[in-house]
This record gives sequence, structure tokens and C-alpha cells, in this order.
Amino acid sequence: MKLKVYADRMSQPCRAVIIFCKVNGIDYEEIKVHISKGQHLTPEFAEINPMKQLPAIADGRFKLFESHAILIYLACAFPGVADHWYPADVFKRSKIHSVLDWHHSNLRRGAAPYVFNTTIAPILGRPLNPQVAAEAEIILSSSLSKLESFWLKGNGRFLLGRNQPSIADLSLVCELMQLEVLDEKDRTRLLGPHKKVQQWIENTRNATSPHFDEVHRVIMLAKERQQHQRLKAAKNEGGSNMKRPLVSRM
Amino acid sequence: MKLKVYADRLSQPVRAVIIFCEVNGIDYEEIKVDLANREHLTPEFAEINPMQQLPAIVHGSFKLFESHAILIYIASSFPGVADHWYPADVYKRSKIHSVLDWHHSNLRRGPITIVQNSILAPVFRSPLNPEAVAEGEKILSAALSKTESFWLDDNRPFLLGQNQPSIADLILVCDIMQIKLVGETDWNRLLGPYKKVQQWIESTRNATNPHFDELHKVLKELKEKLQN
Repeated sequence: MKLKVYADRMSQPCRAVIIFCKVNGIDYEEIKVHISKGQHLTPEFAEINPMKQLPAIADGRFKLFESHAILIYLACAFPGVADHWYPADVFKRSKIHSVLDWHHSNLRRGAAPYVFNTTIAPILGRPLNPQVAAEAEIILSSSLSKLESFWLKGNGRFLLGRNQPSIADLSLVCELMQLEVLDEKDRTRLLGPHKKVQQWIENTRNATSPHFDEVHRVIMLAKERQQHQRLKAAKNEGGSNMKRPLVSRM
Repeated sequence: MKLKVYADRLSQPVRAVIIFCEVNGIDYEEIKVDLANREHLTPEFAEINPMQQLPAIVHGSFKLFESHAILIYIASSFPGVADHWYPADVYKRSKIHSVLDWHHSNLRRGPITIVQNSILAPVFRSPLNPEAVAEGEKILSAALSKTESFWLDDNRPFLLGQNQPSIADLILVCDIMQIKLVGETDWNRLLGPYKKVQQWIESTRNATNPHFDELHKVLKELKEKLQN
């Protein structure tokens, strides 16, 4: 009775669940559901998750959706998951709940629509929406500031002043990795001021190596494709005043 | 070590936390933070919650914000809280987590958007915005539809096919109750199509009365004040 994880690695919360399974040696089967092909909208997938969203899991007859609920379930139900991921201590656990809750209405609510409406939408055959992107950017910037000044306060390598990662670090960092597909100047503008945030992304990546990079390959490929398209567009416009990455003449 | 609950009963998640404390006989002190007078934006309150939102709790030296996290903390830390509020069973508990998470991006956004852009706009010194209200109604309807068709079973009074309420019932129902501020006509129009939802609201109210009615008095009082 293997755990089934319904996932599209382009989805931030899917990546968090998959990385968590790999890091903790959880025996699972990844069932790919391609959002770009509308596979999450099929009646078959609605049987798994009537909200038609990813990720979703099926563990025997038990089905579950919402990535935070899934991560908590996996941490509790599978043996061998180290305590730091979802501590038994009620005080530590409560703080993790509070950042996971904050995430919904703040970082995710800013980052996801911003990236979608500046970059990803055309890949899914939808129009870009600059107004939604502008509103989302405000929420994203404010969330990054709150991460820098509050959630990453002190000398801990991870959220909440801790020195080992929790499911909250995985969830939020995977969300921020979506920013990789942005135009480099936008990504730098947004993340540049926040040194602790940048260090924390790196800490989380190292703590979950090599799985982090492996699971993020699809996003890094999307990033390369986007950069290529921007270069092409700049060339076509004859845009000499557009910044281009240095190209080796070797 | 009394639990301190920083509260303005105008806030839906605040009401959920206070009703929970009352129903479970938890010894707490309610510290009023007046949203209309922007007391949540003071430096003093930022010491309690740097996000400057309600509810927040202080228990000895432990501070916590985000209502779902608070309810889980109280259910887990105080003796005598019946299991049905936040079951120890990992399967039931996970389902409760999933509806609480779904709530953030779905049901919660509906009533807030409607109410902040209409009747509460003058209280918070922002303009009326009928377009935003229409958008809020769409969000609410979609969420109520999903609640009616998925989260509520045909024959069980509470979410997730349960016979007794959980913290999820309290949170979601308190959010829907905010619509009372826009009046009975709109309440009936918005909730009319959803018979199971209406029954569920009544079940949650009955399971937590007289505290439910007591906490929701503030909506009636505010509505009358704003109409005069």
C-alpha cells in the first residue's frame, strides 16, 4: 500500500511534498498530473481531489489535499521522520502552525499571482494581468520584509530562530523558488534587499540536498526557456538598451 | 497563568477563539483592542503581534497569533477540551487541517471582501467599492457551493461528516456570520441556495450557545449603530 502523490513539479506546494518524502525516505509513487494539459480538471482527478488542485495524496483509502495538511500527515504517520520537521513540543509546533497560516494570506498570496501574471500565464494559455501582478507585488514585497525582519529574526539558520528545518521552511522556500522564472532584474529587485531571506533559501537547499535541486530542475528549465525567449524578443525589437546576460565568446 | 486573548469581537476569528474558550471553560482574560480606533496599529500591540492583527494570545511568556494556530494550541494545552474539537486520530485531524487550509484562500475571503467594501468601509475610512463587493459575492458563492457539495455530508450536522463540532466548524461559521452586518435580505439572498450550510450554521450555534449568540451580539449592535 504505497503512498501515492499526485503532483506537477511546476507547482510550488507539490515540490515541498516531494522533497519531504525524498529527504525522509518515505516510500511513495509520484503520479504526474500535468496542469498545462488540464489534467487536474478531469473527472478522474476530481475523484482524488474535488477541489481539482495539486498536490493531493492517497494513502490506501485515505485521501488528502492541501499541502500543509499533507506535510503534517506525512510527518505524523510515517516512522523515521526527524522531530525537527514537525516538533512534538506544543510551543514549537504552534509557531510552525502560525507561519504556515501566515503564508497562505501573505507570501503565497503575493508570490504566486505575481509570478503567474508576469511570466507563467502564457505557458498555460492564459493572458498576463499587469494589474493583478502590481497588487500581488505589494503583498509579496511586504511578505519578504516580514520574513527578513520577523520570521528570520536572530541567528538561526531557519524560520523561527531554529537551526534545523521544519515543514514551514520547505513550504515557503519552494514558494519563493517560483521567482526563478522571473526576469532577472525583477527577481533582483524583489529579493536583493533581503540578505537573510537569500541565505535561508540556500540553507534550506543545502539541508535537503540533493533532492532540492533535483525536484527544482523543472523550474530551472522553465527559467532557461524564459531567458531564451526574452533574449529573442530583445533581439527582434533591436533593443540595445535591454540588459543581456554575458555570452561567452570562447 | 491566565491566558490573555487580545480581541475585538468585530473580528470573526476573534469570536471563534472566545467562543471556544467559553464553551471549554478555559480561564482567560479578554483584552480589548479596538480595531476602529486603530489600536491594533500601536507600537504596544506590535510587541504582542508584529503582524498587528487579531486575535493574538499571550500565555505566560508564550505569544501566538493566527487563529487556527491559536485554537489548536488551546485544544492541545488545556485539560478538559473534548476530543471532537481537535481529534487525536491522525486521519480526522488531517481532514480538519485540510478544511482550515482551504478556508484561508476560499471561504474567508468572501465575507471579508463584501463587508469591508460596503458597510464597514466608513468604519475603516476606506471608500465604498461595489465592484469589490460583487467580486466578494462570487468568492463566497463558490465557497458555499463547495461547502454544500463536499465538506458537508447529507446526514451529519458538522463538517467532514462529523456528529460533533470541531475547531473548523467554529472558524468557518464565525466567518460566514459576518454577512449579518449587511442585513437579513442579503443574508437570505446569499445563503438561500445552500440548505445544508444553513442547517450547519444552526447546528454550530446550538452546540455552542449561549456563547455563540452572546459573541455575535456585537454585529447586531454595530449594524444598528451604522444605520442610525
